[in-house]
Amino acid sequence: MSIEVISPGLQTSIQDLGRQGHMHLGVAKSGAMDNLSMQLANWLVGNALEHPVFEISLLGPTLRFTQALTIAICGAKFDIYLASEDRKRIAVNTNQSIQVKAGDTLHFTQRLQGARAYLAFAATLDCAPVLNSYSTHFAAQFAGFKGRALQKGDRVILSHCEVRKIKTLPKVLQQHYSGSYLLRCVPSVETEHFSEAQLTQFYSSTYVLRSDSNRMGLRFDAKPLTKLNMQELVSSGLTQGSVQIPPSGLPIISSVDGQTIGGYSRIANVISADHFALGQLVAGDKVNFTLLSQQDAQDIYARQYMALKALSSS
Amino acid sequence: MPYRIVANGDAGLSVVFTAQVSEKLTRHIQVLSRLCAKEFAGLVTDIIPAYQSLTLCYLPLAAHQQQIMEKLQRILRHDLPEQDLNSQLITIPVCYEQAYAPDLISLAQACDLSVEQVIALHSNTDYLLHMLGFSPGFLYLGGLDPRLSCPRKTTPSARVPAGSVGIGGNQTGIYPQQTPGGWHIIGRTPITLFNPNLPSPCVAQPLDKIRFTAISAADFEAIRHTPT
Repeated sequence: MSIEVISPGLQTSIQDLGRQGHMHLGVAKSGAMDNLSMQLANWLVGNALEHPVFEISLLGPTLRFTQALTIAICGAKFDIYLASEDRKRIAVNTNQSIQVKAGDTLHFTQRLQGARAYLAFAATLDCAPVLNSYSTHFAAQFAGFKGRALQKGDRVILSHCEVRKIKTLPKVLQQHYSGSYLLRCVPSVETEHFSEAQLTQFYSSTYVLRSDSNRMGLRFDAKPLTKLNMQELVSSGLTQGSVQIPPSGLPIISSVDGQTIGGYSRIANVISADHFALGQLVAGDKVNFTLLSQQDAQDIYARQYMALKALSSS
Repeated sequence: MPYRIVANGDAGLSVVFTAQVSEKLTRHIQVLSRLCAKEFAGLVTDIIPAYQSLTLCYLPLAAHQQQIMEKLQRILRHDLPEQDLNSQLITIPVCYEQAYAPDLISLAQACDLSVEQVIALHSNTDYLLHMLGFSPGFLYLGGLDPRLSCPRKTTPSARVPAGSVGIGGNQTGIYPQQTPGGWHIIGRTPITLFNPNLPSPCVAQPLDKIRFTAISAADFEAIRHTPT
């Protein structure tokens, strides 16, 4: 059984929750940028939540299935249809599982909301984990499918394909992407290097996502912070969600493929529970930042963690 | 050694040392890093040693953070155990011939040296590997001869081949993967700096000494085609 890539889309790749324990070698976590949608898609097809999926970015692919199985799509909204071999077309809804027949072709057309969709399969992807993860590491070209995004003509081999019972995601877990977001933050290592005026400006400005953003980092436009402390910083460990202020005065948020060591001052850190939202930002989207206490950040994460645990056992 | 512990977001703590970057500090951080890996097994998801800091990453749960914080303070209150970190001298072959060194002549001119002097100064030094990071297998090296210091390019090159050896500011290093880059490229190594399929994916470990040895273009091709 395989999935044939008729057209690959902009960047369709295999991702899971990413790899841990290798940052000291310079190896970033990788993994699904929107780790929440990835897990919800897995739940819909009856997989363990950490199962590898396809991450689909901005322009969706066309994929042909050679065997019947259950699939599900969560995250960004696209117009999607399934074409069967007798040329019948059925519109495909996200946030519920779908039965695919042998020979069906899945077409992603117009993108409506959000940036990344996640396609889960009731099957085993026949690729080997590298450094304990299936996630494609683009920069060093390993894991996932040949260490790269899918290309036209690729055949991704699946085994243990199953047709499972149809599920729909509870309404409260269905995500909507307005294009305007409030990202919650806690302080980071150099927060105290910033003046009261700089912090006030950062937390009261609306930032607009730039098109040169990617899985490494999200870049924004707004009125730059000025009078930055230009003392050279000694490079140190850079964690996911770090909001760095380079000499331009405009923030860069480090994401899943971000470098493991960085040398720019960090004004804040997006809380872990909000990292999934970074995967849905599209150029032109608006972002505001707000400051929370560590306690609040950890409480919010604990609730998200428990909700996913409860879901996985339901 | 004086330090402070700072929050690195809701899922990380950084131990930041105030001492200057040195071999002694790197050794201290490596010992602490190994101790933390042992003490916090199952609790810490990543440990990132750097020039002047050690960052511990964990799940952002209050109980985890508290447990790590308390234990970390206890560890830091005492002198760290003496540990033989078994540092090695690693030789990395570099071809400084023009085909692999597009910026060697301009760098020599900028530093007011001959090409031969640049090669001699660059290759006759044992560099200290302070840390690995940035991208997979990138080596942060200390010990560049100040005469070779040269500001980064104003416009970065769009594509620097994997293995390129460069100088940027007072640092020298090797690009493990093909990337854009702003350093002056003075040579290239045929060896692979990062192989995720090996038990030890990087060519060297922090505290190892790195020495570059000049090789010919013929040697470069021969080594490149030798399976590892």
